[in-house]
Amino acid sequence: MSLHSGSRPFLPEFRHAAPTFQRALATSRQLQAPRWRPASALDQWVERPIRPMSLRQLFFFGRTLTEDRLISSANYVRNELPTRIAHRLRDMQKLPYAVVTNPHLSYVYELYYKAFESFRKLPNVKTLEDNDAMCKIISENLKEHLSVIPRMVTGVLECHNLMSADDMDAFVNRSLRARISRRVIAEQHLALTETYNSPGHSPHPSSEHDFVGEVLLRCNAQDIVRDCGQFAQRVCRDYVQGSKVPEINIRGHVTATFPYVLSHLEYTIGELLRNSIQAVMEHYKGWDQPPPIEVLICEAPSQVVIRISDQGGGIPRDILPYLWSFNKGPRSQERLASLGQVPALAATMQELKIPGGPDTPRGSSLNQLSFRDPKLRLGMGLPMSKIYAEYWAGGLELHSLEGYGVDAFLQISKLGNQNEQLTSRASIDAV
Amino acid sequence: MVSYAIECHNLGPGNQHGKPPLSDDALLSSANFTLSLLPARLAHRIQRLRNLPFIVVANPHINKIYNNYLHSLSILEPFYQKRISTMEEEEKFTEVMADLVQTHTNTIPTLAQGFLECRKYIDATEITNFLDQHLRARIGTRLIAEQHLALHMASTADARALDSDPYNIGVIDSSLQPARIIRSCEAFVGDICEFKYGVRPKIDMNGSIDATFAHVPVHLEYVLTELIKNAFRATVESGNESHPVEVTLAAAPDVPMSKLDALKQLALADETTLDFTKDGLAEYCTLSEGVHGPINSAPPTITIRIRDRGGGIPPDVLPNIWSYSFTTFNADEAAGTNSVNDGLNAITNGGNPSSIAGLGYGLPLGRAYAEYFGGSIAVQSMHGWGTDVYLSLQGIGKVV
Repeated sequence: MSLHSGSRPFLPEFRHAAPTFQRALATSRQLQAPRWRPASALDQWVERPIRPMSLRQLFFFGRTLTEDRLISSANYVRNELPTRIAHRLRDMQKLPYAVVTNPHLSYVYELYYKAFESFRKLPNVKTLEDNDAMCKIISENLKEHLSVIPRMVTGVLECHNLMSADDMDAFVNRSLRARISRRVIAEQHLALTETYNSPGHSPHPSSEHDFVGEVLLRCNAQDIVRDCGQFAQRVCRDYVQGSKVPEINIRGHVTATFPYVLSHLEYTIGELLRNSIQAVMEHYKGWDQPPPIEVLICEAPSQVVIRISDQGGGIPRDILPYLWSFNKGPRSQERLASLGQVPALAATMQELKIPGGPDTPRGSSLNQLSFRDPKLRLGMGLPMSKIYAEYWAGGLELHSLEGYGVDAFLQISKLGNQNEQLTSRASIDAV
Repeated sequence: MVSYAIECHNLGPGNQHGKPPLSDDALLSSANFTLSLLPARLAHRIQRLRNLPFIVVANPHINKIYNNYLHSLSILEPFYQKRISTMEEEEKFTEVMADLVQTHTNTIPTLAQGFLECRKYIDATEITNFLDQHLRARIGTRLIAEQHLALHMASTADARALDSDPYNIGVIDSSLQPARIIRSCEAFVGDICEFKYGVRPKIDMNGSIDATFAHVPVHLEYVLTELIKNAFRATVESGNESHPVEVTLAAAPDVPMSKLDALKQLALADETTLDFTKDGLAEYCTLSEGVHGPINSAPPTITIRIRDRGGGIPPDVLPNIWSYSFTTFNADEAAGTNSVNDGLNAITNGGNPSSIAGLGYGLPLGRAYAEYFGGSIAVQSMHGWGTDVYLSLQGIGKVV
């Protein structure tokens, strides 16, 4: 829409108002407000409190898997999922109208509502057959929701002038944390069911090298860094123009292990390493032996810290204040264009699999993001990684040495006895 | 006196003092500029002190400091009547400046002692808030006074006869090389280590060692001494003196790499407006309390990373590292009057060698100095391994 379309006889003083007016007209034509539904069902579920879980509870519960335990887990999931989605829906409903009617965000809203409706109607699980039926529904739902993250961020970026950037960031953070929580309990239960149904399963405590559902009891930091590192090196070698791929050196307390949801860790470490490798390759264009990336593993009684140091030149000044934001900063509109190219938005992401990717036991929603072309800067890797890191009471900090490189510190709680860090509707309202 | 508003936004173009030696006019201009700023700053300090609990200000040490400020305000009074317009008046004014700087030299150890004695009557948060503000204000006030003193010294008849150092502009060295200061701090702190522990840790430096920028040398020396002190002490006490402390210097692409570059940058501008005082003053223009963090938000230009293998900071200690008078040093030793003064004087005045751990003012005060010109200090500890400290600094008075 052009400001200077000759056919409109705007008076000079209205000319500056014209773009806003035209934009409002244009958007209202495209508006697809989500369907109105009676609020009573939602109200009921929003009133229920969320019962957060800890990692330890997750894996202790599944360690000795009997039929009773499986049914019990099924009913926990049956109650938690609609409760958590209800809180999210209410949060979205309170956003400004103009925001929720954005096509991408309204798509997400509809998806959530559909899921809410199907979950809340699930009958009480009494038998294994009931459980199998429920698992089928949950599994379909998980697949359907794979594209939520890029959709939500696209919608948020498009709405950048409709809401304060801080409120937007807070909303996205809450939503993503809640999303992790739902997927964790859902995927965990599906994994337990699969284990239970697998031939030769008997209810004995799993050995330490096993998974209990999605939780790997002994994640070895060094192994994970090495595997993620190799994968990131491969991706960068194929797609990034610059120097040869830098080496990754790992030292410190290399035998450190801890229980964790493996896919979360792989995503975070993968993002950090890919950022580092890419920065080094671009900073040292043409070099045969760019300086290596140094990874240090430090184990303390209650936590493990992984420090990733690169010499990639540091973070540019203009984006440094906005590292952890989904929508602030001078490059936010460029990200909009890149997001449009993430395949998950288009069709199925199963097609986008780089041969020889890391072997996570179950395809997770994170893979689609990790497998993208590194040239597509989505601006999401860091804030997402931070959310994952903090989800289990850990943390992620970055220190940039401008002109030299970046140090990233990933803190992982070893004990697994901290509850999920969630925000319920009640606590948002209380503020 | 307190109602005399701080008009810092209206300082205007009358502050181009230029590089020494200054002409008479320029020197008078500097004197009047200084005179316009100081009384209000002193008055604000006095008011803040008055707001502390009676029992705290009644403590002899705190009371002494309070009276110092009153004294300084009173000796400035004769100059309020009119502009300083003759060189004799300027000479008298400069003497008053010298007296001011001298009187307030030991403010910090004295305040420290006072607060230590009063710790039953005032809680740690209140002390931290007061000191954070007070010490930042003090940095600015001293800088203003010392800058005029330095400009005066460099412009008097004797100084003009000597070759002037093209790099020094009052208290600022415009081609300061951090690497040089790091080496000298390494030696100084190493001496104390050797005296106290019998071992001397080393520093491995890498990165942009030749980087130079404009800064106040004494500030940088203070901060680096404190940080290196912490690193050395941790290294030695954890038995890791064989692992050198690693110091990495990072310079943003626009930082000059040699004295020649720095001089070229200076030469390009005829009228160098080194009105650095504006940076610190902006904090006090809003009369809001507890300003923390970088004062202006311009990006840093030199970052120094100090990495040690000293075992890291235990999680229970970590929340307190930015509080004043928190130190893992033995509290009994610190309580004695003599060691209070010795510890700090040894480090800051190069006096008697003494205990390496002072009063726990090192980190918060270091951060105040770093932040004064838009830098910062960040501490990242890995318990069980070591600590990484990131000191970012911005060059003063960007040449426009």
